[in-house]
Amino acid sequence: MFRKVLIANRGEIAVRVMRTLREMGIASVAVYSDADRTSLHVRMADEAEHVGPSPSAESYLRIDRIIDAAKKHGAEAIHPGYGFLSENADFAAACEDAGLVFIGPSANSIRLMGSKTAARRSAIAAGAPVVPGTEHAVTFDEVRDFAGREGYPVLLKAVAGGGGKGMRRVDRESELESALRNAASEAERAFRDPGIYVEKLVEKPRHIEIQLLGDRHGAMVHLGERECSLQRRHQKVIEECPSPLVVLHPEMRHAMGEAAIRAARAAGYYNAGTVEFLVDQDRRFYFLEMNTRLQVEHPVTELVTGLDLVKLQVEIAAGARLPFAQEQIAWRGSAVECRIYAEDPYNDFLPYPGKLTRLTRPMGPGIRLDGCVYDGWTVPMEYDPLLAKLAVWAATREDAIDRMLRALREYDVGGIRTNIGFFRQILQDAEFRAGQLHTGFIDEFFERHDAPNPPPDLTAVAALAAALDTMTRAGTATRTDARSSNAWREAGRRDLLR
Amino acid sequence: MKLALIANGAERAIEILAPAPACRFRLGDDPARSAQVEVPEPGVYSILMDGRSYEARVEERPGGLVVVIDGYRFEIEVRDPRRWSRKSGGAGAEGVQSIAAPMPGKVVRVLVAPGDAVEAGQGLVVVEAMKMQNEMKASRAGRVLSVAAKEGATVAAGEVLATIG
Repeated sequence: MFRKVLIANRGEIAVRVMRTLREMGIASVAVYSDADRTSLHVRMADEAEHVGPSPSAESYLRIDRIIDAAKKHGAEAIHPGYGFLSENADFAAACEDAGLVFIGPSANSIRLMGSKTAARRSAIAAGAPVVPGTEHAVTFDEVRDFAGREGYPVLLKAVAGGGGKGMRRVDRESELESALRNAASEAERAFRDPGIYVEKLVEKPRHIEIQLLGDRHGAMVHLGERECSLQRRHQKVIEECPSPLVVLHPEMRHAMGEAAIRAARAAGYYNAGTVEFLVDQDRRFYFLEMNTRLQVEHPVTELVTGLDLVKLQVEIAAGARLPFAQEQIAWRGSAVECRIYAEDPYNDFLPYPGKLTRLTRPMGPGIRLDGCVYDGWTVPMEYDPLLAKLAVWAATREDAIDRMLRALREYDVGGIRTNIGFFRQILQDAEFRAGQLHTGFIDEFFERHDAPNPPPDLTAVAALAAALDTMTRAGTATRTDARSSNAWREAGRRDLLR
Repeated sequence: MKLALIANGAERAIEILAPAPACRFRLGDDPARSAQVEVPEPGVYSILMDGRSYEARVEERPGGLVVVIDGYRFEIEVRDPRRWSRKSGGAGAEGVQSIAAPMPGKVVRVLVAPGDAVEAGQGLVVVEAMKMQNEMKASRAGRVLSVAAKEGATVAAGEVLATIG
């Protein structure tokens, strides 16, 4: 087994990987940019190396600097997390060339599956159904012709992409030019590749994905599905295991699992990976893409299967055989995850970076929190605004939703805006609770609901708190003169509240 | 002490008749109410009222306070009632339109120049934060009067990027 592993990532996923490494007795090496010197992953690591300025293109995407850091610190393997270089075949190859183990699939599998269009061709070859679309980067004229043939709406996607970056829905020809320009520019910035392809849009689909795990000796299993239909800006925000649809139609797990394994085997895949499917209203599923890395939402699978996917990834990378067969995998209970973002859900989900002035974390039965924030931390504006993933486990989906509502109520983040209140609103929605999900759910939710109206007694309490706080602050100002100090402020506060 | 509050857009007067911890207050013309108030952590008000336990978290924001209770967010502007006077409403709706940055970020592209005629919905400036690009659009047709945004510049939330007349 490895003695030291470098994590080529930041944020909550770097922290999550380090936790498992520590449990395995493996030392961790963090890398960080200028913006991240005081971030939690650097504070938690055993060793850390600066790799460049804040823009990710000059730090977390610099293959040369990350390989140098690994060599300098004597790491034997690199865990790429998700995003950044995790699906970059050149990075996997560079690790191998430098004598480092890349904790993931081979560079060749990434190349095959990492490009959505190449993955599509391999899925077709493996007999998996796909949605109509072009299989290469397109020009404006090609998109217009495709849409004219297949009909609007169509979906623009980044050839090199993932996570919703560079993705745009287009409903009519007049929107096409601006959508294509912005998608290409966003793709260029996120992936250094402006290539965009186009697909026919399946109306009201579910997004259900299959977690795969394969070793380097040819064994492969699936760990069941995750329901990831709740999305905003084409990015998942609530994920569940099991899918409420699969609970009603258990044969789907086997059918999708087998299709996923076939597609992955065709690419000679090993380590952890995920095959994403769109599922239409008639429960037909279509291969969407394969993510050749650990998913953001892997905790829900871990909670229901009782497995540690990062530990298995590390063991597989070190050459171990899968410690179980397909029939030994069991799914128990129900897990839900909410992605806590620094954003304003009631203002188009715009990112909301800034300094955290207050933090109270949910605790108690059945809670798992994978985060990277602490009181006083400034959320940098350079990166994805994910603060934490809050996951809960309970015996049934209904209990898990109630537990999540309880946890969200305990969760308080001050100084910035988050989507915590929005999740509470969604989780109380009758359609959500009935499991009637599709990828347009959140857009429709906003058509049905406004921001929640607080009960009248809360309005009175808020007014009282604001008035008392104003009086305290006014008192402080008259008492402290030029030299203000916290002791004076506290004294003033106590006086006024007496 | 009496204050005028604008809470989530609605105006309320509040009078503190007795200070904390045995607090008495009156909201508008409602009957006076009692509340038991403690501050267990800075900015956190534990309020017991009519047998119920509430926790209000207060922080400053530009131009006022934010109070969060049970996940509900109240944006509160505090005004001194002696200086407070009603604004003459609706002014400027047809005049100059300012396009402001909705969040802190970086200007990645400026799509118009002063003097350009623009259509409603036309993109003016693209601002990026946390890898998301957002195109700021004209809400109505007009002519670009000024462009303050510069490509590559960092902007704060609320900073004016361009004006249309």
